[in-house]
Order: sequence, then C-alpha cells, then structure tokens
Amino acid sequence: MSASGLKQLTIEHLRGSLARFVLPFEKGKKVTVVYGENAAGKSTICDAFEFLGKGKVGSLENRGLGKTTKYWPSVGKSAADVSVTLETQDMATCRASLLKGEVVVHPAAARPQVEVLHRSQILALVEAKPADRYAAISRFIDVSGVEASEAALRQLIRDLTGNSDVALARVRENLDAIIQFWEAAGKPGSDPLSWANTETQRDPNAADAEVAALTRLQTAHSRLADYPARLQTANQAVALAKQAALEAERKAQQCVQTIAADAGEVMGVLQAARAYLQKHPAPAVCPLCESAEKVAGLDQRITQRLASFSTLQSARDRTIEAEGGVQRAKRQVEALREDARKDAESFEKARAGFAWSPDIPMPAAAPQDIASLEAWLAGSAHLSARWKSAEAARQDRKQFLGTLRRALKTYGENVQAQRELAALLPKLGQVLKIVEQERRAFTDSILARIAGEVGRIYELVHPGEGLNKISLELDPAKRASLSIGAEFCGGNAAPPQAYFSESHLDTLGLCVFLALAALDGPQDTILVLDDVLASVDEPHAERLVEMLSAEAIKFRHCLITTHYRPWKEKLRWGWLKNGQCQFIELDQWTARQGMRLIRSIPDVERLRALLKESPPDPQRVCAQAGVMLEAALAFLTQLYECPVPRRAGGLYTLGDLLPAIDKKLRAALQVEILTQDGAGNGSYSRRASKVTVTLAKLGSVPVASKGLLP
Amino acid sequence: MDTPSQALAARITERLVRENLITAEAAKRLQPKLAEGTLLPEDWRLPLEVAEMKEPKP
Repeated sequence: MSASGLKQLTIEHLRGSLARFVLPFEKGKKVTVVYGENAAGKSTICDAFEFLGKGKVGSLENRGLGKTTKYWPSVGKSAADVSVTLETQDMATCRASLLKGEVVVHPAAARPQVEVLHRSQILALVEAKPADRYAAISRFIDVSGVEASEAALRQLIRDLTGNSDVALARVRENLDAIIQFWEAAGKPGSDPLSWANTETQRDPNAADAEVAALTRLQTAHSRLADYPARLQTANQAVALAKQAALEAERKAQQCVQTIAADAGEVMGVLQAARAYLQKHPAPAVCPLCESAEKVAGLDQRITQRLASFSTLQSARDRTIEAEGGVQRAKRQVEALREDARKDAESFEKARAGFAWSPDIPMPAAAPQDIASLEAWLAGSAHLSARWKSAEAARQDRKQFLGTLRRALKTYGENVQAQRELAALLPKLGQVLKIVEQERRAFTDSILARIAGEVGRIYELVHPGEGLNKISLELDPAKRASLSIGAEFCGGNAAPPQAYFSESHLDTLGLCVFLALAALDGPQDTILVLDDVLASVDEPHAERLVEMLSAEAIKFRHCLITTHYRPWKEKLRWGWLKNGQCQFIELDQWTARQGMRLIRSIPDVERLRALLKESPPDPQRVCAQAGVMLEAALAFLTQLYECPVPRRAGGLYTLGDLLPAIDKKLRAALQVEILTQDGAGNGSYSRRASKVTVTLAKLGSVPVASKGLLP
Repeated sequence: MDTPSQALAARITERLVRENLITAEAAKRLQPKLAEGTLLPEDWRLPLEVAEMKEPKP
C-alpha cells in the first residue's frame, strides 16, 4: 500500500458489521476520531484494520476463547462472507478476506502497516515480565546477529589464548631439547642455538657413501672368513674318497682270486659275447668258433654263466664308482680355491676403492692363495667390530642431525607462532572491546531514545508531576530481559506499577505504545487506538486528547475510538487546540442494521457549509449559529462559574446563559479566527471586534430566549 | 530499512576501520556477516592480519 491518504474502509460481516459498513475518511485529515457509546461497533472498526494489516482480531485475544477465528464472522455469516477493503486517495485498493482460516490479502504488496492498541492491552508492556517486555521491543534492539558474531570472536580469543600458552610451553620444551644436545656435544660454540644452527647446516647424507662402502667391505670380509673351514672340509672329502677307492680295489682283487685264476678273462669274453649277441640276436654260427652245432640258445647260456660271476662284477662297479668319487672331491677343492681367489679380489676392490676416514682401520690386501688366507683372517678378525662401530657411529650422527634439525625447526615455528599470537591477541581483545562498547552504546541509545520519547509524551499529559524520568534498562545478568523504571518522589528507577495510579499507568502504557510505533516508520503506519482513554480523569483527559492529536499527525493516519463524551463535545464545537480532525459518531448497534454512522461533520463545519450555500438560508444559518452560541455560553459559564438559574435536567436556554456573562467577562472576551493551510494545520488570529456589543444585541432578540441546548 | 543488527554492524566496522584495526575493503566484506551472525571465529582473524600487513612498517 502506498503511503497515500485513506479514502474509505469497507467492512463486510466482520464481528459487529452485520451489514456492509462504510467508513469514509476526509481528504487532508490524518486523524479520525470515532465516537460511540458502548457496543456501538468501535472495536469492530479497529478489528477491521488489524484484520487487514496484521491478519488477526486482537480484541478477542486473551479472553479464554482459544482459537478465535470462528468468532470473526458476524452472527449468521460464514468465514467466506468476511472481507475488509481499504481504498486510498490515489485510488489503490487492498482487500482482506478469510480463506481456510487464514487471512488472505490482495494485493499482498499493498497490505498496510498497522499498529493497534486495544484498551485491554494498554498495560501489557508496563506490567509484562522483563522477558516479555524485551520481546515486545526486540525488533528495535535485537542485535542477536552481532551478538552471535561477538560470541565467535570470544571463542577465537579463547582458542588463540590456549594456542599461545601451548606454543610458549613448546618453545620451552624445544629449547630444553636443544640445550641437552648441546651439552651432550660438550657445549661447543657460544650458545646452544648458534651451535644447533651450525650443526644443522651440515649435510646429513655426507657419511652415506662411507657407510655403504663399509657395508660392502664387511660383506666381502665375512665371505672370506668361511674359506679355511670349507677348504679343510673339501680336503678331508678327497682323502676319504681315495681311501674308499683303495678299499674297493682291494675287495675286487679278493673276489677275482676266490673265483678262478682266469675268471676275470672268461668273464670278459662272456661280456663281449653278450654285447655281440645284443647287436646280432640270431646268428647262424658261433661268432667265436664258427660252429653252428650249438648256436641255438647261445644267448641264454651266456647270460646264465655271467650270473655266476655277479659278485666279481659288483666289486668292479664299486671300484669304478670310488675312483669317480675321488675325481669329484678333487674338482671341489679346485673350485673352492678359485672362489676364494675371486672373493679375495672383491675384498681388495672394496678395501682399496674408497678413501677411508682415519678412524676406520684397514688390513693388508687379502692373499690370492687360499692357503695363506687363514693367517690373514686371523690378523684382521678384530677389525670387523671396529668397522661395525664406525658404521653405527655414522648412522647415529645422521639420526642425531635429523633430530636436531627437527627440534630446531619446531622451535623456530613455535617461536614464530607465539610471536604472531602475542601480536594478534591484543588486537583481537581491542576489537572485542569495541564490539562490546558499540553494542551497549547502540542498545542503550535506542532504549534511551524510547525512554526519552516516552517521558516526553508522558510529560505532555502529566506536566510538572515529575514522573517523566522513564528508564528502560537491559538486565546485564539476563539475556533478553528489559526492566522499566520511573523516578518517583526522588527514588530512581522505581517500578511504575508499584507506585503509579491506574490512570498514570494507563497513560504510561499508551506513551510506550506511541513511542514504539513512532520508531517504526510512522509515515507508513496506520495507528489505531481502541478506547484508550477509559481510566483517565477530566484534567488529564484534556491533555491526553491534546497529546494524541499532536502525536497522531506523525503517522500515515491515526484512528482513535472513544466513548469519552467530553472529547465528543470538544470535537463537535471545534475546541481542540490541535484537534482539527475528522469526527465520526456511531449510532447504537442493532441486531437488524448492525453498525451505523450518525454524523461525521462537526457543528462548526455544518455552519460553515450553510454559510457557503448560495444564497444562504438565514433560518438554518441562525438555528445552527444559535446552537453553537448556546454551547459556547454554556462552556464559558461553567469555566468562569457564572451564576445561571438551576434548571431540572440541566437544559439551559440562550436567555438563561446570556445574562450570566457579566460586564467584566464580556469586556475580556475576544474573537479568534482559525486559519488552516493546505495541509490542515491551523493558526489563530485575533479580530478587533467588540464581543460586548454583539452579546448585547443578541440579548435583545426575543427569540433567543427560546433556544435550548441539545 | 536496516535491522538493528545491520545498523550496529555498520557502526562497529566503521570504528574498526577508524582505529586502523581492519581495512575499508575488509570492513565491506565483514559487515554483512557480522550483522547476520554468520562470522566464524577464524573470520575475525584474517581481516586483522591483512590490516597488519598493510600497516606501514617503521
């Protein structure tokens, strides 16, 4: 909805609007006062604005009705019949209706911003619990987003403080470790860190080649160490083989001697014959004697005879096998000598192929002859342990340099981290301090502004009573808790509900509501005050009405309902200083017609309208002017306590009132002319006229005595 | 219209820049997250370190 002026509100079947009810708004008037006796429909008009702007009907809330939607339609009507339409001076329209229990506004973007204060809610904020009070104004001071970010900052400071402590402890540990290394090294150099820096510049792999050469040397040496034992074993094997061969030969000879003197030769002939027959299996004649007589079965007979010589054959086989064993054992010895020679060469290559450090002792060159190896090994056996020790020392050195380098690196990193944190943490602390300061100052300034505004408005109604020192304070010990206080008889920040009268509290509640509403885009807000003057007494009500009239013009529009009759009179007769507003009176609500307007034009406006007619009707003008004059005289006689005859019913005629204004008062009376600008703002100027003369003339008119006040 | 958090975030970042704790560029990036409450602990650190780097050295 644009911020254009209001033109017309149409209410259909919402609450008391049994029939279609149209509330017209006067162009140029930003304040509308709706007067009506109880149950005339004032709250229905307020509900209609709340229905349209907030999607609810606040007057039914907190009455123990539960969900109130079913009570929103007028009696006998359904939810589908309910609608509220607001038209503006720029011809825009916004309509709200009920659909499935929800208020639907079309167009949604045109929904007006509405703030409604019902009579029943006037003390809600003053008497609320601190947390509820905070919730009511949280939209102005809710900085939970910044608070969450502030919490993250606090968390960071906590974490980094912990990290700084850890870094500091580790710096100490790293330094202790370096000092221990330095002391173990005999405290060389000027200080542990300089020494460690120098040490870690060294190449940790410098000894790797020497360690590898040492490994190769030891391997070659250990391979040579086996040869003496292996040679001895091989020589023993040769001797044993020779002995076995001699024994086999001896046994073969013994066998020959026991069989026959020529058994050996015979067996040789038979073996040759069998070899011949295997090549020529079916000879026609004997190959030896060339006789064919006994050639059949010759092969079988030769085999039978050879079997008789098997012992001799076995002995001869064993002899041959033993001689083979001797040859094999001799070849083993030769192979061993050759291997030893090669390994001796390998050792020499390892020994002479590296420029050894002075702390690594070397033997003479290994002998090529295996026979000399044993003596050489005996002379160099002790060197193996020296080599192992040298190798371990170099490995330890390498490991030490690695450890020292890591310790120095960690030390440097932790020193750097600790330095960075030492520089960062104070700045983070400074940031946190600023965030806290600004947050407090921000919320305090808003609360002070609200409280100041409440006090200012309150002072308009209760001037000089000293009750305008209102304070709103957040409870630092509790989150989202707001207390309200007021200065009372010199006491600071006293809870107003403990000391203030009901009407003072009502005023305070209204002032708080107005101050808050004025903070939230008042130029776009339709302010609705539903019968908020109930408990205020006459003098305060006068000022309250003036205050409301003055404050209401800040808003897009202000609609005030009241059943306060003096206000009706003031509006009717145009007596409000700032009360140049639209006045609407509601007739009594009836079950047949629902809500009805009686009049919406003050009498002074009616008189003006009659005077503007062309030609004016003198009779109607005089009648209207007479009514107004009677009202003015009644006001003056009451104000200055002029003597007026007592009359039953309190109805006085012009003839009763005119004489009551004595000469002294008549001389003091002056006429002031109200002039309004285009925006509806009024100013008064005095006219140099003799009221005394005018009143005297009026007093001489006979018909005046018949006039009656309404 | 700014929410209270947005208005406060603007005031805070403005002051942090004024006191040379963060740069104006960092303030622009920081402000929306500060208002929304989405700043993580580490998000606070970087702007300060950047400002520290840009600070003229004696």
